[in-house]
Amino acid sequence: MPSIAQLVESKKLLVCVGSGGVGKTTMAASIGLWAARRGRKVLVLTIDPARRLANSLGLESIGNVESQIDIGDGDGELWAMMLDTKTTFDQLIERSAPDQETRDGILANRIYQTLSAHFSGSQEYMAGEALYDIVVSDRYELVVLDTPPAKNALDFLEASARLAKFLDPRILKIFLTPYEERRFFGRFLMGTSALVFRLLGLVFGKEFLDDFSGFLRHFEPMYEGFKERHEAVVALLQSDDTAFLTVCAPNEPSMEVARFFNEELARRKLNKGATIVNQVLPCGGEALDPNALLGESASQLQSDFLPGTAARLLARLGSSHRRLRQHAHIERKLIDNIRSMMHHDHELLVEVPRLEGEVHDLSSLQRASQMLFRSDMSDMENM
Amino acid sequence: MAFVDLIYGRLLLVTGKGGTGKSSVAAAFGRLAAAQGRKTLVVEIDAQNPAMKAIYGIEPGYEPKEVAPNLYVANLHWLTNLGDWVGRVLTGGRVVRLVLNNALVQAFLEVAPGNRETVALSKIGWLVEEFDLVVVDLAASGHAIAMLEVPNTMVGLFPSGPIRKEGEKALELLGDPQTHLVLVGLPEDMVVNETIETFEKIRHSVPDLAIDAVLLNRSSVPSLTEDEQSLLAALSSENNTPEAEELLWSGRWEAELETSTEAAEKRLHQRLDTRVIRIPRLSHEGGPQQLVHQIAAAMARSTQSKEEL
Repeated sequence: MPSIAQLVESKKLLVCVGSGGVGKTTMAASIGLWAARRGRKVLVLTIDPARRLANSLGLESIGNVESQIDIGDGDGELWAMMLDTKTTFDQLIERSAPDQETRDGILANRIYQTLSAHFSGSQEYMAGEALYDIVVSDRYELVVLDTPPAKNALDFLEASARLAKFLDPRILKIFLTPYEERRFFGRFLMGTSALVFRLLGLVFGKEFLDDFSGFLRHFEPMYEGFKERHEAVVALLQSDDTAFLTVCAPNEPSMEVARFFNEELARRKLNKGATIVNQVLPCGGEALDPNALLGESASQLQSDFLPGTAARLLARLGSSHRRLRQHAHIERKLIDNIRSMMHHDHELLVEVPRLEGEVHDLSSLQRASQMLFRSDMSDMENM
Repeated sequence: MAFVDLIYGRLLLVTGKGGTGKSSVAAAFGRLAAAQGRKTLVVEIDAQNPAMKAIYGIEPGYEPKEVAPNLYVANLHWLTNLGDWVGRVLTGGRVVRLVLNNALVQAFLEVAPGNRETVALSKIGWLVEEFDLVVVDLAASGHAIAMLEVPNTMVGLFPSGPIRKEGEKALELLGDPQTHLVLVGLPEDMVVNETIETFEKIRHSVPDLAIDAVLLNRSSVPSLTEDEQSLLAALSSENNTPEAEELLWSGRWEAELETSTEAAEKRLHQRLDTRVIRIPRLSHEGGPQQLVHQIAAAMARSTQSKEEL
């Protein structure tokens, strides 16, 4: 079983999945920072519809372009990018349209505009496209992908497949037959297609279907390309150079989602890299006596404060610590549970302690990074 | 309208950033409404791993199942929903059979963008007719926004036909005075940012939908005095034993939760014209159903925070 550091060193693409609020983006950025400090050229790419990568890198915003983050010393480079679905879609059309007319026809089409900007599946689909472009360009030695949260992360794996299904040649044939021809030959020559078209008309309305045929006609020269890319994205995700990292927090719902993801990854024969349990409360588990441990220092400092402050604070620390132990005890049971399951399957589990304060600049990200890789700290004195 | 009176509406939509506890909040609303004798449904939309299963111990299906007196749960499995939808919106049994049995038509319906959302919203409209209250545990905020935008898009895109009609009905349902939406957030900077962003986007794209409250889940009530906080900071030292540091850490941990609750509440009030309701940090120890009971009790007790307009 490789350590998390070995995993990061040996892969070219790492995909972080997990429910929301578990610090998935922070983990992705931490991995990026660590690898960059070790001399690699890294891109952290987020397709999370809520834009948190900029926050964790201490930036106001990152756009749809790859921007370099200043990490100070070292030979490595850290780049970040937040995917804007519509821009990426437009760029794709501009690149792959065979001529000016096709390009303008598509970009001006009402259905295209709606599809590219408003539908939830398109975001995940474009992520696959952008990812593919970036990985094949070979501009980076490592790409870390941060996916949208929980219930939709699987859409990310399925979006390409859905589009490929949508572009099924039999469906296209129905729409690409010119309308006049369809009406004239109708039932004689293309019985099935005509029937399908009529049935779809019942659901979608005839005007829309005609609009849609027009839209697909513009798209026709690009179908093959789309399909090939879909297959390439799937192959990329299944490759040995790719690993998935499941990120969760030590609470029941998040662990449940993590278990579910791990099963799904196995079912899809995707490469499971590690499960990262983030935000674990640091607690030794023993009851501690505030008076014995801090009484002396507190009474020395008491003179600077209102009378009774030291005594009240010590009492409060006693109750805070009791609550910490209670929470930590529940967390421990949950982690042990998932650990025993994973141990059984020879999979890697990494615990990352909860940090004080939020990660919103490079130095706090650096601390998060050190926590994630602390089991490998012995061979990373240069950090 | 008082906050807990939301259970006397017809449709209550719950969303928020992932991990904020929105499913528990949805379940808690369901519990409160059912306890008032209202026939209540808590429904998830095509959840691959339904939260209500963890809470009530049964797999929710497409048909509502009763899990407690007056309380039902369901999960709108997409393909079942599609079949039901075609059966309801198309007239004539033969046509319906043809549509449902034709593999190509089926394939198209399955993959056409926006169709999932339209079909789910139609179904929710029908469920509202069957129940006194329907509570929808929507997807996490990014995708919930996408879903709520769909009816408008559909009406713009389809000049005629059933989808347009269903889109118009969905717009009417979302704009109904008996329909309410609540956002669930946490007292953490990034979550507060996303809550504000979600609020503004929904307000912009579905202006008729009433956003009735932001629930600040896992809140802490400020209790440390300034002096206590300063002393806490002063006690931290590199010479402390690890045990002493752990004690101090537990104090700083709770202090941080308290200050972030205050800061979150302040920012939400500054930016949003809606009430903010605190739900305290509660123990997960009794399991998910117990947690829902505690959240419901806290919501029933809750009064609006003092800065409310």
